[in-house]
Amino acid sequence: MRASAGRADLPAFAPGIFGVSGNDGLPVLLGSRCAPCDRAYFPRSSLCPNCLGETVEQELGSRGRIYSYTVVRTKPPLGLPAPYAVGYIDLDSCGLRVFSLLDAARPECLQIGVPVRLAVSPLGHDGRGNPCLRPYFTPVDAVAAT
Amino acid sequence: MSGVFLIGAGMTPFQRAALADLTGLAREAALLALRDAGLPAAQVGAGYFANVLGPQLTGETTAGQFVMAALGVRRVPVVNVENACTSGSTALWLAVHGVQSGEFDVALVVGAEKMSVPGLGLLHGGSKEIETQLGLVMPASFALRARRYMYEFGTTAEQLALVSVKNRRHATHNPLAQYREPVTLAQVLGSPMIADPITRLQCCPTADGAAAVVLASSKVARLRRRAVRIDASIQCSGSYENPVDLARWETDRRGCLLAYERAGIGPDDLDVVECHDAFSIAEIMHTEALGLCEPGGGGLLVEGGATTLGGRIPVNVSGGLLSRGHPLGATGCAQVVEIVQQLRGEAGARQVLGARVGLAQCMGGDQAADAKSCTVVVLSV
Repeated sequence: MRASAGRADLPAFAPGIFGVSGNDGLPVLLGSRCAPCDRAYFPRSSLCPNCLGETVEQELGSRGRIYSYTVVRTKPPLGLPAPYAVGYIDLDSCGLRVFSLLDAARPECLQIGVPVRLAVSPLGHDGRGNPCLRPYFTPVDAVAAT
Repeated sequence: MSGVFLIGAGMTPFQRAALADLTGLAREAALLALRDAGLPAAQVGAGYFANVLGPQLTGETTAGQFVMAALGVRRVPVVNVENACTSGSTALWLAVHGVQSGEFDVALVVGAEKMSVPGLGLLHGGSKEIETQLGLVMPASFALRARRYMYEFGTTAEQLALVSVKNRRHATHNPLAQYREPVTLAQVLGSPMIADPITRLQCCPTADGAAAVVLASSKVARLRRRAVRIDASIQCSGSYENPVDLARWETDRRGCLLAYERAGIGPDDLDVVECHDAFSIAEIMHTEALGLCEPGGGGLLVEGGATTLGGRIPVNVSGGLLSRGHPLGATGCAQVVEIVQQLRGEAGARQVLGARVGLAQCMGGDQAADAKSCTVVVLSV
């Protein structure tokens, strides 16, 4: 599973966090699942902390709703844009609440409950200062408008 | 927990001390605590040293042995403790249980931090964490709590800001606090936005400093008039459940309830509280976890003056982290030093009159939207 299409010759900021859906070719979050415990994990945990059994990789989808958000106005770490936005997203597919970057281009669109979908772009740099891809969620209406 | 007493306490000023070093600060606080206890170092049966950033910033590992040896605490067990913002209070927790076990009669606990160095940047939950690599810095973590909390309970930005106003007012009476000038509501709200809705004056500042306490068994503490009893000392870690509720801090509540249970008291028995007000929203949530008000009522609690010096249950009369600053390894001990001074009636102009039962709550670390560590200590006279 390769990271993102188009601008995707850059490496991902970390392995195994996002990929491209086999269904529609759009970016998806990747996690893992323990079938016996019926639990999903993000980021992927190779062991299920509940039963210590091995998990399997699972696509966690690309859609959700904003649970909370903030726009960070301090000097950004890791070469992220200033300001940048982050939040917790309730994923539609599995009920997990995941931390993510958010699209800060239209901060007025960031509201609790707003539907969002995953995107992947060159964003900041990795720990060694090299440019890399990062996933972020953007309001669905904003995606439709572009 | 009958049988463990606090017989000595001391701390350095909390400030940006350009010329100070980690072990020097630690020795200064430890010496104050030992002198307060009136004990020779030879009587100390174990040493616990709390520090967070020394290994990262200056390469100082196992600094505790260095500090203890310089004070004449040699040959006995010495343990170095790192548990994020709760390092000092976790060291205390270990020491309490060591004394309680009978392994030794006297323990010296020192928490210290030297962190005002160029380029430190904002703290985070660990550089390898995925969340850190996606931009989660500490102010953002608490801003996300604040946003959700305000959404669910209707708490206002003004109520959040009043925590800073109150604690800075308290700090005018604390000569060891870094910021002792009062601030107005307009100043707090008008200070630069860090991560909305959290402004700069709602974030605890960096500081260097150290704090220390001496613990003793009842055998040693028996004839000491100024001894303070430790009724409970608990430490717990996060539950990391997903989805986590950012508006109700389960780990915080669980820690507080466990401490009440161990001490055999409830929130109505408290006279004075120090809690981990690293950010304004944190104090509001901790006062709820402590049961000082109903869930969602923390904003009204501070607005109504209940947590002000002279109110129903004064919180952070030292000025808290928001005024003292937050030398990570020292904070958990400094909170206890404040409670000890209050219970001894030695807190000067910020004395809570007649205080007999006090509590210090601390939280640290950030993982999966939960704290990695929560400590609560209940003390009484």
